[in-house]
Amino acid sequence: MRRRPLLTALCALAYLFMLGPILLVVAVAFSGGDTIHFPPEGLSLKWFGKALSQHSFTSALGTSVLVATGATLLALLVGVPLALAVQRGRLPGRRVIEALCLSPIVVPELVVGLALYQQLMVGLRVTALGTLMIGHAVLLIPYAVRVTGASLAMADPMLEEAARGLGAGPVTAFFRVTLPVLAPGILSAGLLSFITSFNNVPLSLLLTGPGTTTLPVEMLHYVEFSFDPVVAAVSTLLLALTVAVAVVTERLIGFNKVFGR
Amino acid sequence: MVNPVELDGVTREFGGVTAVQDLDLTVPEGKFTALLGPSGCGKTTTLRMIAGYLAPTRGRILLDGAEATRLPPERRNLGMVFQSYALFPHLTVAKNVAFGLRMRKAGREETRRRVGEALELVGLSHLAERRPRELSGGQQQRVALARAIVIRPSVLLLDEPLSNLDARLRVQMRQELLNVQRETGVTAVLVTHDQDEALELADLMVILRDGRLEQLGHPRDVFPAPASRFVAEFLGYENFLTVPGHGPVTIRPEYVRVLAAGEEPPGGTLLSGTAARVTYRGTDCLVAVRAGDQTVLGTTAAEIRPGDEVRVLLPGDRLIHLPENAPVPATAGDTR
Repeated sequence: MRRRPLLTALCALAYLFMLGPILLVVAVAFSGGDTIHFPPEGLSLKWFGKALSQHSFTSALGTSVLVATGATLLALLVGVPLALAVQRGRLPGRRVIEALCLSPIVVPELVVGLALYQQLMVGLRVTALGTLMIGHAVLLIPYAVRVTGASLAMADPMLEEAARGLGAGPVTAFFRVTLPVLAPGILSAGLLSFITSFNNVPLSLLLTGPGTTTLPVEMLHYVEFSFDPVVAAVSTLLLALTVAVAVVTERLIGFNKVFGR
Repeated sequence: MVNPVELDGVTREFGGVTAVQDLDLTVPEGKFTALLGPSGCGKTTTLRMIAGYLAPTRGRILLDGAEATRLPPERRNLGMVFQSYALFPHLTVAKNVAFGLRMRKAGREETRRRVGEALELVGLSHLAERRPRELSGGQQQRVALARAIVIRPSVLLLDEPLSNLDARLRVQMRQELLNVQRETGVTAVLVTHDQDEALELADLMVILRDGRLEQLGHPRDVFPAPASRFVAEFLGYENFLTVPGHGPVTIRPEYVRVLAAGEEPPGGTLLSGTAARVTYRGTDCLVAVRAGDQTVLGTTAAEIRPGDEVRVLLPGDRLIHLPENAPVPATAGDTR
């Protein structure tokens, strides 16, 4: 391989730029001191303990998990059949449908949030929790469609025909062949959706209310008043979870298949 | 006797395009039938209609004498080997082969025994617990074959099963395919665009052109007597000549003798011309001779160089007469 000093330097800078602040936060989380300060004063796990014992955080964590789980299931329930219909079906206007279900990526989340707030919470009196789930599900559908579609595109379209030829009816063929073949893709879509919902701020900001708030929003509120390493500890926990999910996703299907065209 | 497959005036249209037109075909029991033709001739469409993946636009399909035109594939009891093999990637080799038996609710003991026999037949018993992706192309092909025959289908359907293999393996697998068919006595229908494959395997060769039946018969009857220029070209004939006193004819280069100047002709039709191209082939030379406005391919053992004045001997008993009014396509591969 040829050496390109300029490129190497730029890459190093880019990594430093992206990873530097994150690593600082992680370092601060293990601090023994009382303020967010670098280098950390001593080493301890006390801020993790404090984070996990604070009710506002644990309750927000509960809400986040609930919302992320519900929204992921909803998104998969809509997204997987959509991906199947778009890729395998002979639907008229399937390109339009595909574009439509990818559109939440483009529409500003605050706009989506405001619309949902008006229509669902104010208009239909849906609870904050319900609205959060529905709102997040909308955001997640593109991921569900895209990831499932990627694994569908890799599968041999003749598999279902082979199953039918061997005596399986359409329903049996779907559950014995199509679904198991898609399972890793669906699992990746689920993990990716879960983490996307879990980390979401803009949409949640508009849809959370007293008593129902998600962890990132709670963290945001917390740093408005306090400046101790608790937030760093929570961030580190969030980061660990996200990285774990990303690694699993990469193992199962590969990111290039998810985001590549 | 009941025929395993009967097509009665079967037509299939896609939009405005007719892929198969008014096809009548009877597949003989226990024999190897090959549907042969260039791409776009309707052979795969025909196979997919027999399998039940496509419904005919018009006409009837009978399986074992019973009306089956609208029967879904899972109720036809046919075994299909796909071009891509279509092995289930999430199942082991043994479970792939067992799939059809499970769908038929065969008992555990019977399933185990029959899967074992099928894998034995294709020589893959030692790979039963592997996944398809761990196998070579030839091995996957064998699994697909075992999966199709284990259900004891009334007909084994083969959709270009050897086209994804390299040339050497392809020739070897042909023989194995034939062995399996002979050993099980299953009725087989093969779709192929490879005339050598059809000649070697088929008891009945069905040549299709633009969705219509062009010629049908045993390879030993069809090969020496192509009914049209299309069939002749498809079977690899290269000489298409108009010979005085014979009209349009074809003849294999092996039977055409190219005589050097001074060589004594033993009798037959003679054409004079110039050697245009000489290809050494070990035992003899293939010579392209420019005779008037025609080019004749022939062989010679004599020393002939490009540019030599030569004569071409066409033995009368080797000339195959092609019907005068048959439509003549430009080349066998270009029929659309």
